[in-house]
Amino acid sequence: MIDALLSKLQREDAFACAQCGYCVKWCPVYDRSGWESASPRGKVFLLKKMLENNGSSLLTSNPRIASEFVQRLFDCTTCGRCTEECHLELDLLDLWFRLRELAVRQGLAPQSVGLMEKALLASRNVFGMDSQSRTDWATYTGAEVKVQDKADIVYFVGCVTSYSGRSQGIAQSITGILNHVGENWSIMHEEWCCGHPLAVSGATERYREIAEHNVRNIEHMHAKVVVSGCPGCCLALREEYPRILGRELNFKVVHFTQLLDQYVTEGRLHIPELHATTTYHDPCELARLGGVVDEPRRVLRSFVKKFVEPEESGSIGRCCGSGGLLKATNSAMSGDLAEKRSAMLQRTGADIITSACPSCDQNLAEALSKFQDSKRVQDLAELVAQQIGLT
Amino acid sequence: MSLEKTLRSLLGDDKVSTSYLERTAYSHDLAPIPRNIMWLFNNLPDIVVRLRTLEDVVAVLRLANKFKVAVTPRGSATWGYGGAVPTVGGILLDLRGLNKIVSFDEDQGLLTVQCGVVWKDIIDFLQKTSWDLPVYPSSAPSSTVGAFAATGGFGYGSLEHGSLVENIVSITIILPTGEKTVVGPDSGWVTLKQLLGSEGTLCVFGELTLKLAPKMPSTASFLAYFGRLGNAVEVANDLACRTRPFSLILRAFGFVRGQERKGLFGLEDAESGAIIYGYYTGMPGEVNESLNTFDEMTVDKGGVVRPREEADFEWNERFYPLRIKKLGPTVLTSDVVVPSNRLSEMIQYVWQLAHDASMDVEIETIWTSQDEVLFFPLFLSDERRTLKYLSHSAITKKLIDRAIAMGGRSYGYGLWNSFHFTASEPSRRKEFIKMKELLDPNGILNRGKTLTARTRLGLPLPKVLYAGFMETLWLLGRWF
Repeated sequence: MIDALLSKLQREDAFACAQCGYCVKWCPVYDRSGWESASPRGKVFLLKKMLENNGSSLLTSNPRIASEFVQRLFDCTTCGRCTEECHLELDLLDLWFRLRELAVRQGLAPQSVGLMEKALLASRNVFGMDSQSRTDWATYTGAEVKVQDKADIVYFVGCVTSYSGRSQGIAQSITGILNHVGENWSIMHEEWCCGHPLAVSGATERYREIAEHNVRNIEHMHAKVVVSGCPGCCLALREEYPRILGRELNFKVVHFTQLLDQYVTEGRLHIPELHATTTYHDPCELARLGGVVDEPRRVLRSFVKKFVEPEESGSIGRCCGSGGLLKATNSAMSGDLAEKRSAMLQRTGADIITSACPSCDQNLAEALSKFQDSKRVQDLAELVAQQIGLT
Repeated sequence: MSLEKTLRSLLGDDKVSTSYLERTAYSHDLAPIPRNIMWLFNNLPDIVVRLRTLEDVVAVLRLANKFKVAVTPRGSATWGYGGAVPTVGGILLDLRGLNKIVSFDEDQGLLTVQCGVVWKDIIDFLQKTSWDLPVYPSSAPSSTVGAFAATGGFGYGSLEHGSLVENIVSITIILPTGEKTVVGPDSGWVTLKQLLGSEGTLCVFGELTLKLAPKMPSTASFLAYFGRLGNAVEVANDLACRTRPFSLILRAFGFVRGQERKGLFGLEDAESGAIIYGYYTGMPGEVNESLNTFDEMTVDKGGVVRPREEADFEWNERFYPLRIKKLGPTVLTSDVVVPSNRLSEMIQYVWQLAHDASMDVEIETIWTSQDEVLFFPLFLSDERRTLKYLSHSAITKKLIDRAIAMGGRSYGYGLWNSFHFTASEPSRRKEFIKMKELLDPNGILNRGKTLTARTRLGLPLPKVLYAGFMETLWLLGRWF
């Protein structure tokens, strides 16, 4: 089974891993757990042992060991820091995804993965909510939303932003700004979950039909650009869809911070100065995996009085614990990682903590609420819209 | 109460594991062990414990003595000689949790750290101070202070500042019996030199006080390419004596696999020459003068001095010699200390070994003094080809034998090189045996290492058997 799922290169990589441990201290999960088997190096070593034993013997022969190993695979935020630190340039992140796929196919994945998959496929959103209520956020927030047959820009809202009350302000802010700069934009008539949760959980069997639906609808709208405020949706549309569908897409995918940066640089958006010290938390899927590091900073620096970098930022940003479905599979660990990151952000002394991902915003806000004298967490889109007076 | 229960009550459930998965993850170090050999040893610990304080170490060692159970101390396990690998199961101490910087005396340049602190963290910590590390290992991004102290202590900076032994003021040690004591220059009954490099067999290092080096106002990296390896060696040796860099490294590539070369080929035949690179620290005039000397010597010997930005890049890459492993996927190596005036001879020998075994090899050499180098060829092999890999592994014995014949020694012993201790350092071994008997009467600490390679049955593997086996493997590897 392992042989069928892992590429030749990945099987080679398990042996090529130098076991140097350079990845270990940067892994947020190892940092919290302290056990070798939780570290990227430990997991690669265990995989190597399985490969030495002609495939999946360890995964199949002893259910207790198999379930323990699978737990390690899902106790991971898929933040990609291990790949970033690996000086042998092994693509460990992709390896974790393939191994999760293996766990799903063998029926060993945590129950929450199966529940999420079932809910997502039935309701077309990750929460299993009524698909008809996907655009209710517009009513709740009073946002002026455009639904057109054709548009230059399609705003892909995403499940968390659509359904989670705390994040709906992001959608309100993004639509407000798009209207403010006079873009010809629209949301989709029938947006489905981007499918990214399926990709990170390994439940990829029916990912293709989701990708096909979303791409077909976007291409019918003749959109040149798809924008989202969710880094996970961006990764799905930009990286995963072309791979699954085996073709280039007829549109460009950008994160909203990239559009904001463009508006500010081109002078289309004037943001009044904010008299506050601000810091920025890089979402892993936006900065490290998506390469968007400078754009949000340029935007922030254009209007905040003082910008301070936190420790471990940019492409080596510390994960907040919300990725990789960890919140579903091990919420206690996810909360601990968020507390650790929040403490780093608190130490900057900033009045406002910003980020650019609805999941990061939520996880950090929950963690920060446990601190005394805690700071605000705001999505960059919300902060900008608020400064302009749109919300 | 059973050992496991007692450990759990002492340390807490979350610090003790008997899970098979966890124990497997702790059953190895950097070097893959040939499966055909590993059955001789029980490398799977029975219990893994994660420790956070010196008191934890004291408690576990006391308990281990009571139960007469073997204990294997482990840092980041970035050594490849089996020093952190159990041979008879027992308790494995994961010491990475002892990772606090205890104190920093900025006036005196003294830094006290716990044994699990990673070298790179100290480098980062010192950035905003007026002090630098005098010496650190090539695996600084992950290796721990305690483990480096236990395994020789030669690395970057040794050329200017000596080994770690010369840069440690005192150590709080925990003896195998669980006694905690401080060893400094005036301890009397034992010297720092006796304990440093003892490979976790005589004591566990708890806290170490390092003597830092003053940060110098000027620093510069340097890099040169040489078409002829012999010239590179000559220049590097002269450079070590005349300019005394902080670090000086020579790297050469001997990619011979698949080539139909026959017979011995020497330095002049190595197709890709060599590079030398390193780092100067000092007063501005001093560093400039050293760089001028470097430039002149390089040009004089037909080398090419590379721009400073390339030199900076190479210096910043110094922690990544194992990048080459991706081509392996397995690397076989053994660090040996060789007299610098015999380096050329050693390289020729390595070319010959690589040629005979049809293996690619990259050579890394770090000057540790004007007279000695730390020499570690990285032979590429493939552990998945079990028999071939087993025959390749004999190359480490041949390498150490030759280093000893040249007046050098094995850099360390651990499990795999323990057979070479007598030939390498006979008087030190005798002293070591006495110390071991004195400090570890029950023989619990890192059992079956350094002095002997003890098998799972409790019997030491005879050297003659090892030597015969390795030589036979080597010959069989050549024939088939």
